[in-house]
Amino acid sequence: MGESMGTRILVCDDEPHIVHVVAAKLRNAGFEVITAENGEEALERATCESPALVITDFQMPYLTGLELAERLKAEPATCGVPLILLTARGFSIDESDWKNTNIRAVMCKPFSPREILSKVQELLACGPASQPVNAGRA
Amino acid sequence: MTRLEERPWSQAREWEDEELARDAAAARSDDGAAAPMAGESPRWKAAAIWALAPVAISALWLAWAIIRGPAGSAAATRLEFGGIAILALIAGAIVWLSEQTRRRDLLALRYHLSRGEAEGSTLDATGVGVELQPVLRSAMDHAASLREKIRRIEGTQQRSGLERRLADLQRQQVDAIVNGISDAVLVTDEFDRLLMANRACESVLGLKPAEALRKPISELSIDDGLARMIRQSREADGGNVRRHVEHTLGERIYEVTLSGVSVQQKDESAGAKHGVLAVLRDVTREKEIAKAKSDFVSKVAHELRTPLSSIKAYVEMLVDGEATDEKTLREYYEIIQTSSERLSRLIDNMLNISRIESGTVRVNKEPVSMAVVVKEAADVARPQAEAKQIKLDVELTPVFYQVLADRDMIYQAVLNLLSNAVKYTKDGGGVTVKMAVMEQDRTVTISVSDTGVGIPEQDLPRLFEKFFRVEANSKMAKGTGLGLNLVKHLVETVHGGRINVTSQVGSGSTFSMTLPLHG
Repeated sequence: MGESMGTRILVCDDEPHIVHVVAAKLRNAGFEVITAENGEEALERATCESPALVITDFQMPYLTGLELAERLKAEPATCGVPLILLTARGFSIDESDWKNTNIRAVMCKPFSPREILSKVQELLACGPASQPVNAGRA
Repeated sequence: MTRLEERPWSQAREWEDEELARDAAAARSDDGAAAPMAGESPRWKAAAIWALAPVAISALWLAWAIIRGPAGSAAATRLEFGGIAILALIAGAIVWLSEQTRRRDLLALRYHLSRGEAEGSTLDATGVGVELQPVLRSAMDHAASLREKIRRIEGTQQRSGLERRLADLQRQQVDAIVNGISDAVLVTDEFDRLLMANRACESVLGLKPAEALRKPISELSIDDGLARMIRQSREADGGNVRRHVEHTLGERIYEVTLSGVSVQQKDESAGAKHGVLAVLRDVTREKEIAKAKSDFVSKVAHELRTPLSSIKAYVEMLVDGEATDEKTLREYYEIIQTSSERLSRLIDNMLNISRIESGTVRVNKEPVSMAVVVKEAADVARPQAEAKQIKLDVELTPVFYQVLADRDMIYQAVLNLLSNAVKYTKDGGGVTVKMAVMEQDRTVTISVSDTGVGIPEQDLPRLFEKFFRVEANSKMAKGTGLGLNLVKHLVETVHGGRINVTSQVGSGSTFSMTLPLHG
C-alpha cells in the first residue's frame, strides 16, 4: 500500500457513523482522510485542501451529493477530482450526470468498507482521466 | 221490445247504472217479481193496472152477485153468478202472470243485449216472435263484435299510453343515474358533435350540457387535449378499442376512458355510426395516496438502510481485524448496538401504528401513576438532552393520580414527545415537562414545551398525519414521520385522550396530552 501513503481523501456524509467507518478503513490503508458532514463544508474543504478523491453521500442536507459533484467540477481547483457517490436509494444517476460531473462510481448503502477501499485504490491507480464505472447495485 | 230497438248501442251503455243493475238482478232472480214491483217506475205502474184490471172487474162482479142473490133470484142463479165470477178471477190471474213472465224475459234480454252477449240463454224463452229472433241474433252478434273492437282499441290505447309512460320513467331513471355519476360522462357522434353530457361535465369541464348539445366539441370551451383525444380515438379505431389515458385538467388528474359507442341514426341504411364515449374519473386522490405510499416506502427504506449500513460496515471492520486496540473495538461494538436499536425501534413504530390502525393491537390497561411514567421517560431522554446541553425540567404531580392505561404505550407516547422536543431544540435550549390535574374534569394533562425551532402555522393541521414531516425542520433531525402519528393513536385511539399542539416559529412548541383520571 505504499502508493496510497499520504494521498488525501475527503469523506462526506451527514451520518457520523458512516464517515467514521469509511475514514477508519481508509486511514488503516494508509490514506490521509479529511471529513465533512454536509455538502457545503465538503465544498469548502475540497477547494482549500485539494483531496485526490471525494467520497460523498447523495442525500444530505443543504447540498446533495450530485450538486456537490457539479460544483466541484465547476471549480478550477477541483474540476479533475474523481468522486464516489454513496447512496441509500436504489437508483442510478442519469447519463448527463455522468458527463457533467466527475462521479466515477456509485455505491449503494448498506455498503462494504472493503469494497470502498478497493474502488478508491482502483480509481486512483487509473488516474483522473479514467472512464466511469458504476460499481454499485444501481 | 220497442224500447230496446229505439235505443242505440251508445245510449244503451248509459243504462249501466242502477236501473240496469236493478232490472237485471230482478230478471235473474227466481222470484224476481217482488223487488222491482216496489219500484216507482211509471212503466211498471201501467203494466200493473193492465194486469190487475180483469181481476178487479171479476171481484166487483162476484160481490154484486152475492149481494143481489138473496133478494129475489133462485139459488141456481147465485151459483151461476159465482161460477162466472171465479172464472173471471182465474182469467185475470192468467193474464197478469203472463204479463209478468214476458216482462221478466224482456228485462233479461235487455241485460244481455246491453252486455253484447248474443248467446243469452233467455233469448229463446223471451216469447219474442220467432220471425224476429234471427234479426235479433244478428244484431246482437254485430253488437258483440263492435263491443269487442271497442274493447281492443281501448286496450291498445291504454297500453301505448302505459308504454309511453314506462319509457318516460325509464328515461328519467337513466338520466338520474347518469347525472348521479360523479365521473364526467360525455358522448360524441361520428362528427364529434356532443350527443350527451352528464351533470358532472359542468364542474369538470365547465360544460353547460343544455347549451352544448349537438355542437362540435372543437367549438366548445372544453380542454383542447381532451377534444383531440376524442377525435383521435374515433379516427384511430372506430372506437372499438377501449383506451385509458391520464389527463391533467388544472390541478386535478383524470383517468380518461375512451371507448367506441354505436350512435344509431334514423336512417338505418346508413349503418351504425361510431361515436366516442368518454368517461373522466378524478384520480387525484388516488395519485396522492400512491405518491404518499411510495414516498413512505422510500423514506422507510432510507431510514432502515442508514442503521443497517452502520451495522454491516462495522461488523465487516471487526471481521477484517481493523480494530486493533481495545478502545476501538468497544467503540465499534457500541455503534453496532445503537444502530440495531434504532433499527428495531423503527420497525416497532411501523408495526405499532399498523396494529393500532387495524385494531389488532393488544392493550393491557391497568391503573398507572402518570408521574412515575413521566419520570421514567424523562430519565431516558435526559442523556439525549445533555448531549446537546439542553436543560430538561420536569414538574410532576403526586404519584397517586392514576390513569387506566397500557403502561408501555403511554410511556412510549410521553417519550416520543420528549425526544421530539430535544431533537428540534437547538443546543443550549430548554425542554420543560409539566403535569396538571383538573379535578373538575377528572383529567390529567402532560405538556412538553421546548424552546426549539417551532412549527409553521400551515403545517400544524397536518402535523399528526402519517409520514408528514415539517419540511422546514426536516434537516434538523432524521425521522420517518411516524412518531407523532403514533402518539396521536396511542393517546386518542387507545386511551380516549386528547393531543394538542401550539407553536410559534423560532420560539418553540408545546405538545400536551390529556387523559381521563382513574377512579
